[in-house]
Amino acid sequence: MAVTAGAMPASGATTQSAGARLRVEALGKAFAGPDGAAVEAIGSVTLDVAPGEFVAVVGPSGCGKSTLLQIIAGLLLPSSGRVLLGDRDVTGEPAHMVYLFQQYSKSLLPWMTVENNVMFAFRHRMKVSQADALTRCRDYLAMVGLGDSGHHYPWQLSGGMQQRVAIARALAAEPQVLLMDEPFSSVDALTRLDLHSLILDLWTKKHFTAVLVTHDVDEAIFLADRVVVLTQRPAQLAEAVATKLSRPRHSIETREAPEFLALRHRLLDHLLTRSGRTRDANPR
Amino acid sequence: MPIPAERGTAVLAALVLPLAALLCLEIASRSAIVDPTFIPPPSAIIGTLGDIVATGAFARPLAQTVLLLFAGYGLGSFAAISLGILMGASRAVYNCLEPLAELLRPLPKPALLPALILFLGLGAKMEVTIVALGCFFPVLINTIQGVRAVEPTMINTARTFGHGSFAVWRRILLPASAPYILAGMRVSLGLGLILAITAEMIAGTGGLGDSILRAQRLFLVKESYAWLVILALLGLVLTGVFGFIERRLAFWSAPQVT
Repeated sequence: MAVTAGAMPASGATTQSAGARLRVEALGKAFAGPDGAAVEAIGSVTLDVAPGEFVAVVGPSGCGKSTLLQIIAGLLLPSSGRVLLGDRDVTGEPAHMVYLFQQYSKSLLPWMTVENNVMFAFRHRMKVSQADALTRCRDYLAMVGLGDSGHHYPWQLSGGMQQRVAIARALAAEPQVLLMDEPFSSVDALTRLDLHSLILDLWTKKHFTAVLVTHDVDEAIFLADRVVVLTQRPAQLAEAVATKLSRPRHSIETREAPEFLALRHRLLDHLLTRSGRTRDANPR
Repeated sequence: MPIPAERGTAVLAALVLPLAALLCLEIASRSAIVDPTFIPPPSAIIGTLGDIVATGAFARPLAQTVLLLFAGYGLGSFAAISLGILMGASRAVYNCLEPLAELLRPLPKPALLPALILFLGLGAKMEVTIVALGCFFPVLINTIQGVRAVEPTMINTARTFGHGSFAVWRRILLPASAPYILAGMRVSLGLGLILAITAEMIAGTGGLGDSILRAQRLFLVKESYAWLVILALLGLVLTGVFGFIERRLAFWSAPQVT
């Protein structure tokens, strides 16, 4: 049984959209298990993301969320089904899709300065002078509030700042689709709220299509236009809910809105019941 | 970074023992407690060393040894890094070559000298080959480990930004495994010098190894020791230069254990 999620028009302040439509059609993925038998990671997932839309994918841990994202990015091949970017099949890494990894410390290259890390994203693709490349690089660093840190090495910066560099680098490639694999899960709680606002701000400015994979229901609701819930492995689409929260969203107020809380209740209830966990931590 | 005063104390502490040892030798030799014919007083060795340096006689053997070392070290390291990257990146290549490497690696390299002399004669070809062989294995093992230790996330990052396989090799695999490779090269540098001297002693066609052995055979004991001092200084300079280069190239990494 596969629930199909249709694309919702983006509710963001996008007037003109630079994002691309992303379609995942009946995608399945099986790995060879330790005993040689096929282990099904993804059952069949169909997902249609409108240009400029922000979709969050949540699900129990180990359900294949990251696998799904890696297939979309062309880092893994699907066992069945296909991924379409615009009207083209994704085979290999598409030029207009960028992947933001959870582990910024392993994704940023420690032997390159912050500036060179950012230029690593686009310098090889365009014939621009070093000066122009540097200007573009500094623009993006300024956008994430790191205009002064270009000459540092990533490991000289705090975790939050490193993830900002990773965000600047991802956006400097000017992607049509930004794929985010739990990018906020390895920073502290306050930095996380800060980065949420930053990514929404940049999304509003740049109109890219965004797909976020996360296990944090609050984060998913706060950021996305639509939250997609996956079942346990093999992953299937369990539910897709439009958040319908007004934009711009506010770090504190939005998270206290009744609609936010109602949605949070519904999704958490769904996830906890599905994963067979008890809702009450201390049953009497 | 120690403060200058601390550094000064450390240097002083490091000098105490060698100076004391030299002083003991000097006294022992001059008072004939040990036979001065075989163990001449250090001051006399320094005098001979001064002559070798002043006449410029040191230059040719030193240059020949350094050249031999660099040629063998360069060839061996280059081959090991190239092959190591292949073996680290591809399981098939590794499975194919690993048994052979494991067979040859523990073999003491000087044992190959007789065979090499048969194939290559007593000249530079044989010397460079044995140095290259000695330098090859530590670099190979470390390169394989280094490539295996590269974070898959780094490679995926490069791929998602549209870098091709060659760029992934050059811009990710090589720099990311550099600290491991350099640690292997540090070991190889010492091994290379050992083999260079051994080969020179056997070939007898010049170089510091030849000078040390030749002086001893001609019973020029002081001269033999003087060449030994030059060799020790060469080792010291090489280690220092290598450390400097290593810190420049792998500045971003904690020192790797070999």
